Amino acid sequence: MGGLPTIIFMRRLPVYFLLDTSGSMYGEPIQALNNALSGMINTLRSDAQALDSLWISIITFDREIKEVAPLTELVSFQLPEITCPQSGPTNMGEALHFLCDKVTAEVKKSTPTQKGDWKPLLFIMTDGSPSDIGLFKEAIPKVKAMNFGAVVACAAGPKAKDEYMKELTNTVVHLDTADNSTLKQFFKWVSDTIEMGNKSHGTGETVSLPEPPSELHLVI
Amino acid sequence: MSDSKSFLRTLLDKKGTGVTPDKHALFDAFAADPDTENLCKQILEFQNTLMANWQIKSRIADINAQQVIIPNGTVGKPYHAVIDFQKLGWKDVIETSVTGLEQLGLAYDPTAGTITGTPTASGDNKLIFRYKLAGVAMEQQERTIAIVINPDPKSLWKNIPSPADGPYHKPDDMAVAGQLGDKRIVIASKRGRSHANVGSYRDDDFAYKHLDDTEWSVVAVADGAGSAKISRKGSEIACNGIIDYFAANIPGEAFSEIDAILKTHAEAKSDETQKKLSAFLYHNLGKAALSVYKKLEEFAKTAETPIKDLHSTLIFALIKKYSFGYAILTFGVGDCPIGMMNKDKTEITLLNWLDVGEFGGGTRFITMPEIFQSPKFATRFGFRLVDDFSYLMLMTDGIYDPKFVVEANLEKIDNWNAFLADLNGKNDEGIKVDFDPGNKDIASQLSAWMDFWSPGNHDDRTLAIIY
Repeated sequence: MGGLPTIIFMRRLPVYFLLDTSGSMYGEPIQALNNALSGMINTLRSDAQALDSLWISIITFDREIKEVAPLTELVSFQLPEITCPQSGPTNMGEALHFLCDKVTAEVKKSTPTQKGDWKPLLFIMTDGSPSDIGLFKEAIPKVKAMNFGAVVACAAGPKAKDEYMKELTNTVVHLDTADNSTLKQFFKWVSDTIEMGNKSHGTGETVSLPEPPSELHLVI
Repeated sequence: MSDSKSFLRTLLDKKGTGVTPDKHALFDAFAADPDTENLCKQILEFQNTLMANWQIKSRIADINAQQVIIPNGTVGKPYHAVIDFQKLGWKDVIETSVTGLEQLGLAYDPTAGTITGTPTASGDNKLIFRYKLAGVAMEQQERTIAIVINPDPKSLWKNIPSPADGPYHKPDDMAVAGQLGDKRIVIASKRGRSHANVGSYRDDDFAYKHLDDTEWSVVAVADGAGSAKISRKGSEIACNGIIDYFAANIPGEAFSEIDAILKTHAEAKSDETQKKLSAFLYHNLGKAALSVYKKLEEFAKTAETPIKDLHSTLIFALIKKYSFGYAILTFGVGDCPIGMMNKDKTEITLLNWLDVGEFGGGTRFITMPEIFQSPKFATRFGFRLVDDFSYLMLMTDGIYDPKFVVEANLEKIDNWNAFLADLNGKNDEGIKVDFDPGNKDIASQLSAWMDFWSPGNHDDRTLAIIY
């Protein structure tokens, strides 16, 4: 090749998943989430573009914030089993702060000698509302300043509160239930969205999202 | 105390029939009785067997529940994984074998605990790992170990032709070569794999023209934004718009003064001539760029679509040979470089700066009105007067990204010479572009060269070389 080891400088598309594992997810929902995630990873593995550039990080939040999968390239990614306690609070605010620190440390920006990553994408899924509202409110401007290519929030199930999610992003998807087939649909759409992430765009513009399937209600 | 005696004592205590002091002698005699001793021995043996059996069961359960992670493989890429018995605490695990590897093109070496080979099939697989425990007569036990084999990324790319009759259609690949004044030009523009994979159009474009009466040559290259719906039309309008503008305006009054300015500049370079040149560039090339913006705006209006749907970068160069050398005038917006190598190939001159955002893919476009108002607009023009040059190249980021990677690399002549060597056949595919002026196949050679494989770089590729 042209003398430069291109592979080292490859432009990455970092995608962060922030997943609610609070007590209310216990049982069928967490099982459905694991299935849907595994399905999504398999779909992405067969996508030429994703296989070349996608990096995935999974952070879960309940009483504790856990980085269950640190930012890893799809090629080497191994999906961990996501578990949740039987009860406990939803520390989404703390999770968002944790996420911002991770993004700041991990996502590479362009310099004359470094290839910048694609704008990172963020997917948040919750079936409730933040228990740590103070921290949550503080996190909102921080998340906005991160310059994500897209922030998609998914409020799953009857108890999920859209209004908190709407403070975070304009793209809020509401799922009536957090069952197997609905979550699968959602994560299929997530993989479509990810495929939009690595395209050239104007500075300051965000990633345009594909049409969601009819099962997902886009909250206006 | 003998084993049977202490066992007996514990048994009696547990059952609440302690041996009172007056019965010590009786107990001793009972314990020493061969029948009693024999029974105790048997019980102890049974106990030991039960204990051992339980330990085996429990050990097997532990081994089977232990997380064994082996790295993912990729079809066609040599694979090497170790099941690290030491680390897993499996010193007692022997006579191991693994089933399920053969169909993946892999093999297990029980002595080294390694899985090696070159995977031939992709998928999410469960291998069956069989083993025995050391020092135990037993059947082979089994558990699963997960192994993910990624498909070969090259095999996933589809090449779906774009619809020939769709709106704003253009050919997927183009390659041309020809005379350009006393130089030659070769240009190839190729649809990127990311577009070929989904059957969408090439967003890059180019155009060139030699204006016979004035001896000026114009070359334009543009890269439509991947995120904009009809940017393929935007890049086309931008390139053709530049050619049309100069074809119409160079013969006119405004352009004629450049000959005189350049002549004075060549004879006696001064601040005064420099200033006049800058003013000329700003007015004439700036007007050309603005005319393109206006055309795009008008098109957007007629098509009832926001102008951002036409987002495209644009670089162009004007070249004319004078008795005192070659004058090269340039303009650029976006992330497509223009580089000129001197005659000896010892120096590279970059004729524009790149609009690069802090994140990948972020840039500026000719469709953004704010670029014309920005104080930096004046710095988008370039001018060089040189005796001669070996290569003048205009390229889109589809070439620049894989071949130069970052801006800093563009400044180093070594990288340009490596790039030339690459074009001359020093590449994995061994494809050579022959720059001999007599070579009639140069366009198809450049087009073939442009199929080079570079992981993560699947954008449209356009390269124009004046030589």
